[in-house]
Amino acid sequence: MNDIVVRDDLSLVTTGVQDFVTVMLDGQMVGIPVLAVHDVLNTQQITLIPRAPDWVAGVLNLRGRIVTAIDLRRRLGLPPLEKGKSSMSVVVEHNEEPYSLQIDKVGEVLSLEDQLFEKNPVTLDPRWREVSIGIYRLKDQLLPILDVDRLLAFESSSKAA
Amino acid sequence: MDDLLNEFLTETGESIDVVDVELVKLEQDPNNKEVLDNIFRLVHTIKGTCGFLGLPRLESVAHASENVLGKFRDGELQVSESAVTVILESLDRIKEILAGLEATEEEPEGDDSELIGRLDAIAEGNDAPAAAPDPEPDTVDGEIIEPVLGRPLKAGEVSLEELEAAFANAPGPGDTDVQETPVSQPSGKDSSASLFDRIGGEDTIAVAAHLVSQRVENEDKFAKFFEGTDTEQRKGRFMGLMLALFKDDMDAADAVGRQLVTVAGFGEPQFDAMLDLVKTVLVECQVDADTADEAVMMFELVREAVINASKEVAQPKATAGKAKPGAEQPQAGKETRRSTQSIRVNVDLLEDLMNMVSELVLTRNQLLQITRNMDNSELGVPLQRLSQCTTELQENVMKTRMQPIGNAWAKLPRIVRDLTVELDKKIELEMLGADTELDRQVLELIKDPLTHMVRNSADHGIESPAERIASGKPEMGTIVLNAYHEGGHIIIEIKDDGRGINPEKLSKKILEKGLASEGELAGMSEAQIQKFIFHPGFSTAEQVTSVSGRGVGMDVVRSNIEKIGGTIDMVSTVGKGSNFSIKIPLTLAIVAGLIVKAQDERYAIPQISVLELVRAASAERAGENDHKIEMINDTPVLRLRNRLLPLVYLNEVLGFDEIAENEDRTTTDDFIIVSQVGTFTFGIVVDQVFDTEEIVVKPVAPILKDLDIYSGNTILGDGSVIMILDPNGIAALASQGVAAAEDEEDEELVRRAAASDKESMLLFRAGQTHPRAVPLSLVARLEEIDISTVETSDGRLMVQYRDALMPLILADQSMNLRENGNQPVLVFTDRQFTMGLAVDEILDIVEDELEIKLASDKDGVIGSAVINGKASEVIDVTHYLGLAFPEWLGSKDMSEEASVSRSAENILVVDDSDFFRNMLRPILTVAGYNVTAVNCAEAALDRLEAGNHFDLIISDIEMPDMTGYELAQAVRDNPEWAHTRLVALSALSNERDVNRGFEAGFDDYVAKFDKDTLLRSLSQQFKIKGDAA
Repeated sequence: MNDIVVRDDLSLVTTGVQDFVTVMLDGQMVGIPVLAVHDVLNTQQITLIPRAPDWVAGVLNLRGRIVTAIDLRRRLGLPPLEKGKSSMSVVVEHNEEPYSLQIDKVGEVLSLEDQLFEKNPVTLDPRWREVSIGIYRLKDQLLPILDVDRLLAFESSSKAA
Repeated sequence: MDDLLNEFLTETGESIDVVDVELVKLEQDPNNKEVLDNIFRLVHTIKGTCGFLGLPRLESVAHASENVLGKFRDGELQVSESAVTVILESLDRIKEILAGLEATEEEPEGDDSELIGRLDAIAEGNDAPAAAPDPEPDTVDGEIIEPVLGRPLKAGEVSLEELEAAFANAPGPGDTDVQETPVSQPSGKDSSASLFDRIGGEDTIAVAAHLVSQRVENEDKFAKFFEGTDTEQRKGRFMGLMLALFKDDMDAADAVGRQLVTVAGFGEPQFDAMLDLVKTVLVECQVDADTADEAVMMFELVREAVINASKEVAQPKATAGKAKPGAEQPQAGKETRRSTQSIRVNVDLLEDLMNMVSELVLTRNQLLQITRNMDNSELGVPLQRLSQCTTELQENVMKTRMQPIGNAWAKLPRIVRDLTVELDKKIELEMLGADTELDRQVLELIKDPLTHMVRNSADHGIESPAERIASGKPEMGTIVLNAYHEGGHIIIEIKDDGRGINPEKLSKKILEKGLASEGELAGMSEAQIQKFIFHPGFSTAEQVTSVSGRGVGMDVVRSNIEKIGGTIDMVSTVGKGSNFSIKIPLTLAIVAGLIVKAQDERYAIPQISVLELVRAASAERAGENDHKIEMINDTPVLRLRNRLLPLVYLNEVLGFDEIAENEDRTTTDDFIIVSQVGTFTFGIVVDQVFDTEEIVVKPVAPILKDLDIYSGNTILGDGSVIMILDPNGIAALASQGVAAAEDEEDEELVRRAAASDKESMLLFRAGQTHPRAVPLSLVARLEEIDISTVETSDGRLMVQYRDALMPLILADQSMNLRENGNQPVLVFTDRQFTMGLAVDEILDIVEDELEIKLASDKDGVIGSAVINGKASEVIDVTHYLGLAFPEWLGSKDMSEEASVSRSAENILVVDDSDFFRNMLRPILTVAGYNVTAVNCAEAALDRLEAGNHFDLIISDIEMPDMTGYELAQAVRDNPEWAHTRLVALSALSNERDVNRGFEAGFDDYVAKFDKDTLLRSLSQQFKIKGDAA
């Protein structure tokens, strides 16, 4: 028997096991559905965009494509990366437009069983709740899963922010 | 969608567009047989194809209009406006059905009986019932149409045979579809059991044609007859000939046959030999012998044509006078040839191609950048070749996207024609430069704005015939469309000779809509008010007509044009008409960009919007002649060729730092990019300028769409991504009042042309709260002087300035110098005398009328004037110069120029313009003359008669009542005043005017606005006078 919430999300129900790319953000491990990830890049040269929203880190060149970089730390209300440390990029796509999520470090890919899944606790920071599908209970820690589409649905989020 | 249907839609759409235009032509020139034939043919083709594809609705409509056209053609009906209107209506209906067809692939439901009824009624109009020359109505399944009832032709009532018959009867070998006839037209399919198929279809024929054309070249007996054609051409002709022959299209065959031989002397024996050759080839192509024989028999049909053609070549002159059919043939041939040279390509494919080329250009740039950093790379040469190929490829692909602007205009004659009927006006549409080419994408985007503007011109601009006659204009109004290239841009003008835009009417509207207050309007010029038509939500039509005023105003036009990086401008004269001009870039995809740096990032600015680059030296190193950024109350400006150029710091626009920081950057040179948005020119200050690079504009991500300062982004040769700045956005950000400034700029032009009464005034504050003003032309420089460098000597304030001591005068007794920091100072210079006028604050520089309302007897004040809506004291610079240099007035005697003069000379200034009087007075006073000014020639004579003594009279030429010439004559006629020198001052300064001035008795003639020449002339005159005395 699976959790009811899982049933709502058909993609989760169908297999029973899901793969996630784990990334590190300010000491917190976060999962991104592996199918959503197009590329993982090492530190890239990012061009700043003055006057853009602060969570837009800039734009970068991915093999001739211009990719908008999102500063995930800022987006989730975390403190900025310490000086001297550089971020890595996880490239995802939203509405056929590529975006790069700037994270601290990429971890391993985890295959997680559905029964470990749990919906967001209501007490979760609204900024996290907004963009998290739910949470997996790992042995030693918890793994929130990012909902890439909601994360990048700027029309609604910019109003909310 | 079915390919066949697709083809049909494209083709029919094109035909309809042509018919649209041709019909309007026909209406104007009802006797033009050629036009009529063309229309008939097109409509007929449409009808035929519809029947074949099983589109009954379309077919019945086309059929009914064809009937009417047939009667026109046979001369049974006169071409009339009403008939043409109904036919146009039927075309619209066809378009409607086509649109439905395109969307659903099925004919939309609908009832056309009313329209068809009207068409039939017209067809029957002057004609007796049954004797219709067009056989079709009679043969509808034996049913007789009741013409009086206008009974519609229903779907399915027309048999297929009937249609085929109609098709076979299709007139005109010159039909534009000839090239298609053999390939795609239904009749081709019909004759399926025909020779064509037995031979093996188009493929076999192509092979055969190829072989024939090759052998013809190799065999001596033929070769000379085909001289001057290459294998491809011959192949095309043979192929065309065979296709036509084997498909029974005799007209086409005849036409091609005539072209086959280009050299005289091709007679019977040669033709026979050629037939043998054809047969051999066909057999070789595995066509069975019987069929080959039959095929060769077909050639007999063109024997005469080919041989005759050869004879004609021998005596071209003799055939020149031959009857029509002969004249028509070559044309048909030309069409055939054209068909082999152009193909239809899906637009998406072109777009993809363009995108790929863009990528290629980027990669090429990247490669170039890499190799630039390598020494003696063996990549160099091949890369250079690649680069060249890429450039050529890019150019060619661009060309495929180029289309003549006439395509966007094609619908306009029809629109104007409909308007003339609807509005009961007479309008002629003139279109110039229709073959000017521009990018397809741009073309699509300007189509609607253009249509809208022409509509506007017809609806609002052109008056009714009665009105036009009343105002002495020809009854026929004209709208002129003109397109031409100008330096990487296309300029499109839409001119009409209508009533122009009435500023009074507009003002009322503006007030009604609350777009501006009465006071604001009062301060605006006509042109400024007229520009309000570009204001969002503005429509000038008194009432909303069906024609315009559908909520889409000129503001939408303007924003659409600006969206593609274009500008729109307008000049309108009441009673004379309006002239809109649109300036748009040729293409959007690849542009030249200027790479600049601000802070540590690079940005691209489209080269198109860069007028020039100016380097401003840092404040520390600025020499006398260097450009230098100056500040007026925290607003940076640059003096550029005697104009003030407003500046914005890119660093500030991008939010990097505050203006104060920029101000402090006195150690580095600044680069100023002079840019133009509309008619508003401004400078963007950047830290550094690199080179220009071809950049491929890529749209920014959706989240950045709101940022107006960027128009896109791109990848540079070194692989880095940079943002492309949008000068429009920067201008909007930098000044809310761009629109106002634009108008001001325009005003400036008008003002310069018309020499109206405005003058740049520097406003400042000193001591008291009210602003004071001084004509900017008198100010030599604006300085900020470090208060610690101010010294006191002999009870006077002094400052070391440019290696000399400069006296410093307080502009007001009640003011004090600052305790510390910098004191703003206006520097005035007169010959060797330089003084500084310390003020509290420099407020602004405004252009306004200098009209002294209240004269003042206070020292140092000329009077009060309303400047920029505020009462301001206009200061008298001479007073301060006198204060600074007690010897200054006396020095006049010492100065070289004025050495012959005695004490101050008396000068009388005669000018009807308040401005000039007020401007001249301080200038002349400063120059040390006693000045009296009057505003007309009569007043001047009065003064003279009253016994006032003047050494010199400066007079304007153009004055009401009594001109300067007359005044000069009057002065010269009176011996008492003969010693008075006369100087003419006029805006009219061509040779004729000058000579006339001398004849009238003037001693010198000086153009207005030229202060220096005037002063020189004056001292010269006094010198002459002194010498004479």
